[in-house]
Amino acid sequence: MKKKKKNILFAYGWAAPSLLLILLIVIFPIIYTGYISLTNMNVYHWNNYDIIGLDNYKDALFVLDNGFIKAFGMTVLWTVVSMVLQLVLAFIIANLLNIKKLRLRNVYKTLLIFPWAMPGYVSILLWKTGMFNSQFGLLNQWMEKLGFSSVKWLNTNFLAFCCCTVVNLWLALPFMITIIDGALQSIDKSYYESALLDGASWFERTVYITIPMIRQIIAPSVVITVFTTFKQFDVIYLLTQQVGAKTGADIHTIMTYAYEKAFITNNYGYSSAISVIIFLILIAFSIVTNLKPKEEGAV
Amino acid sequence: MKKNVKENIGLVFANIFFIVICFLTLVPILYAFSVSLNSNNSLLSSDFSFIPRHVTFQNYLAVFTEEPILLWLKNSLILAVVTLVLSLSTGIPAAYVFSRKRFPGRKPILRILILLYAFPSLLSMTALYKLLSPMGLINTKLGLIIVYTGTEAVFALWNMKGYFDTIPVEIEEAAMIDGASPLQIVMRIVMPLAKPTIAVTAMMVLIYVWNEYIFAINFMTGTDTYTLAGGLYSLQATEMSGSWPIFAAASIIVSIPILIVFFALQKNMAAGLTSGGVKG
Amino acid sequence: MKRICAIGMILCILTGMLCGCGSSSLSEEEENTIVIWHDKEDAVIKVLEEQLKNTDSGIKVTFEKKSDLTESLKMVGNDPKAAPDMYLFAHDKIGVYAEMGILAPITDIIPKEELEPYMDNTIEAATYKGEIYQLPLYYETLLFMYNRLYMSDEEVPETTEELYAYMKENTKGGHYGFVEQHSTPYYAAGWINGYGGYILNQEGKPGLNQEKTVEALEYHKKFVELMPGETEYATVNTLFNEGMAHSTIAGPWLIPTVKESGMDVGVAPMPVIEASGTPISPYMGVQGIQVLKNAAETKPKAIEEVLRAWMDADVQVKLAKASGCAPANETCYELEEISSDEVVMAMKETAENAVPMPNVPEMDVMWTVAGTLLTDVNMSGKDVQESADKAQQEAENLIKSMQ
Repeated sequence: MKKKKKNILFAYGWAAPSLLLILLIVIFPIIYTGYISLTNMNVYHWNNYDIIGLDNYKDALFVLDNGFIKAFGMTVLWTVVSMVLQLVLAFIIANLLNIKKLRLRNVYKTLLIFPWAMPGYVSILLWKTGMFNSQFGLLNQWMEKLGFSSVKWLNTNFLAFCCCTVVNLWLALPFMITIIDGALQSIDKSYYESALLDGASWFERTVYITIPMIRQIIAPSVVITVFTTFKQFDVIYLLTQQVGAKTGADIHTIMTYAYEKAFITNNYGYSSAISVIIFLILIAFSIVTNLKPKEEGAV
Repeated sequence: MKKNVKENIGLVFANIFFIVICFLTLVPILYAFSVSLNSNNSLLSSDFSFIPRHVTFQNYLAVFTEEPILLWLKNSLILAVVTLVLSLSTGIPAAYVFSRKRFPGRKPILRILILLYAFPSLLSMTALYKLLSPMGLINTKLGLIIVYTGTEAVFALWNMKGYFDTIPVEIEEAAMIDGASPLQIVMRIVMPLAKPTIAVTAMMVLIYVWNEYIFAINFMTGTDTYTLAGGLYSLQATEMSGSWPIFAAASIIVSIPILIVFFALQKNMAAGLTSGGVKG
Repeated sequence: MKRICAIGMILCILTGMLCGCGSSSLSEEEENTIVIWHDKEDAVIKVLEEQLKNTDSGIKVTFEKKSDLTESLKMVGNDPKAAPDMYLFAHDKIGVYAEMGILAPITDIIPKEELEPYMDNTIEAATYKGEIYQLPLYYETLLFMYNRLYMSDEEVPETTEELYAYMKENTKGGHYGFVEQHSTPYYAAGWINGYGGYILNQEGKPGLNQEKTVEALEYHKKFVELMPGETEYATVNTLFNEGMAHSTIAGPWLIPTVKESGMDVGVAPMPVIEASGTPISPYMGVQGIQVLKNAAETKPKAIEEVLRAWMDADVQVKLAKASGCAPANETCYELEEISSDEVVMAMKETAENAVPMPNVPEMDVMWTVAGTLLTDVNMSGKDVQESADKAQQEAENLIKSMQ
């Protein structure tokens, strides 16, 4: 009994610094947002705000209109497309990187993560003005050289969606490749050796050994990426909707939608209520789709 | 013999595949590189080529002489290194106990931690400001370090825990019987075996700190407190004064240290279980 | 276990460090230290610093360039430890900060009579709900610019129809007769204002589906059809800079860039819109000093001294010469060195019709809504009236949500 208690104390003792930091930096803002959502903190009551109860939530329900539902559908599509592409491509690339005799492995790896080594806004700017720009962009210069007419890449919904997906992929793949590559290192090579002796094909080895072995390791990163993709704002906003550089495409995810409908009003109470609602919707969504890292553990 | 030929052909194809895919990945960066070597002040040009007609290193020179980039580099380095050390020294013990020990609250905490990522954090900055300001941590590196470490803590914990789970527990038990303390077990047994995940986590923390600019410019004031990402942001922030080639040159310069670190980490990442010779 | 102890220690030390602050009254040294945030180019700041050197007051003024100045101010505005004492920025955020209660009226420091020499519309721009919140330094408006290589001085259009004829004739083969950031509200506002419509009026009411606004959008559309399908500044400025567009409407900040690339650039008055008889009337932005409430209460003397130093008309002349800033002080225009400056005088002329950017808090949401309306009309080809009605409704909803 005493030993068990000691064990618990030990566990929490070791975890305390990390948990404390999470409490301060991650959980406190959520609680604070929850509190502000109950107040009338806005431009007109910036320092002298009062608690006004659930009024903000009542107003926020108006945002949950057709446009919001459409944006939600778009967000799901966006997340599914991005995640499938990311996982498949990263898996293939990471596997090929682990070919035994690939001498230049480290060079390739380093080059492939280059997109990750730049601040996001720089990359998006490079894509928007350097690649997609309809007058000067590299893509259109190539199109013209190949004898096609130039294309307005970001002006129509479908093309803009594809472009955003490409950029998002470009930004996110380095992380996914690194994670899967790291996970592949953990697999004991003897499994493959015995499978090879049994005459298993590459496909069989992948399905029966690789995937089950790495699933558990990459699960947290995948779940985290699903959430960040779902909440993705920068890529879509900066490519198509930035004030002063709108392109005419009308693709909204829930975050860009909430931004245009609430966050720009400087009404922090109201915006906080919407943040909380999106938070709850996402949690509900993750429970419905059973999105969670499996937690059986090796022990 | 035949097997060797087949393997070599496969290798050639793999190399071709990687050369193509690396090129595709690098197109926008090569673009930036070309702009940075260009003498005209434009991000755009009607006839672009990867090798500019008038190559100049003027812009790189300008980055070092006109902008306090070495100061920014120093700031970024301090933040990155301290955050990295803090992240690992808080994250590894936490990940270890969540992987090895069973205690009440373990499962719910793990579950909740991952759900925290579902929170749209557009307004978090104000909250963190309210938290740090009374403590006098605004305009200090320490404040930023705490924010960065906290932001990456969930990832560090979960990511390393997932990997620790796959390390067989038997060796640790053997060591425990030999009288090793938990700290010794982590330092001598777990950490060497978990090199790949520690490297990935370190990479993640490093890149986050290196590229983060929103907190860096809002919580810090004055040009001499900028980080590289923050300074870079200020270079392009005003459309009137932005000089594209200098910006492009600075972007390239900013990413080089990360690439060097990554290249150096590669060896560590591969030296996991394969060298340990542990069987499950 | 040692490690845990060490971490525990660090955390204890941290918390100890965190709690050691909180004195209230300022020392003399603090009273004489002024921090100013800004987002301006170095040339402007240098002039202001130089001017302070002439007064030997012992006040230490620090300029800090802040990239996300407006967001940061919202956050730190009422925190004396982190907030600046003053900031140098355009007038259009005055309403927001005044409502938030972080600004002090400039008249708390400088008597109103002394603001007499400033141009009326610069003072009007600085006025929110009857109080003046900014000491103007200079103002800027968009300008009509043309490349003399293609458009001779005689060809410069006096009316928008002449401009249209020029565009029709010269927009071909990769060249454009005229380009602008057509679907960006700040630029399109010139057409809407000139037509007699408005985006937002003084009372904070949106006018997106006003008859005149809709007519302006309708009319502007035929010009847009002869411009590229991009509205962001990089494209538009590059087209002009590379000599592929013969003329443009752009900010004065573009002039140094194009001159550097060797262009013989001309500046002309805005073309007159036939239907209204008024020239294209862009928004005017007045750049000036705003004082934070905390600072006005704790160190009024130092602030007054600094402000007075910059009220000297000479500062504005120097600013005009250093960075092409149009002086806000009326008397400057009597000086030869100002009246001979083509760019400054063009701004002065445009300013006569220009509309000060609305400084009410409601404007914050209008940029987005008007931007959507413009792209709907100009780039997605949606019906003008319908889009305008929708945008108006949207704007009203958003303004309601601000409360």
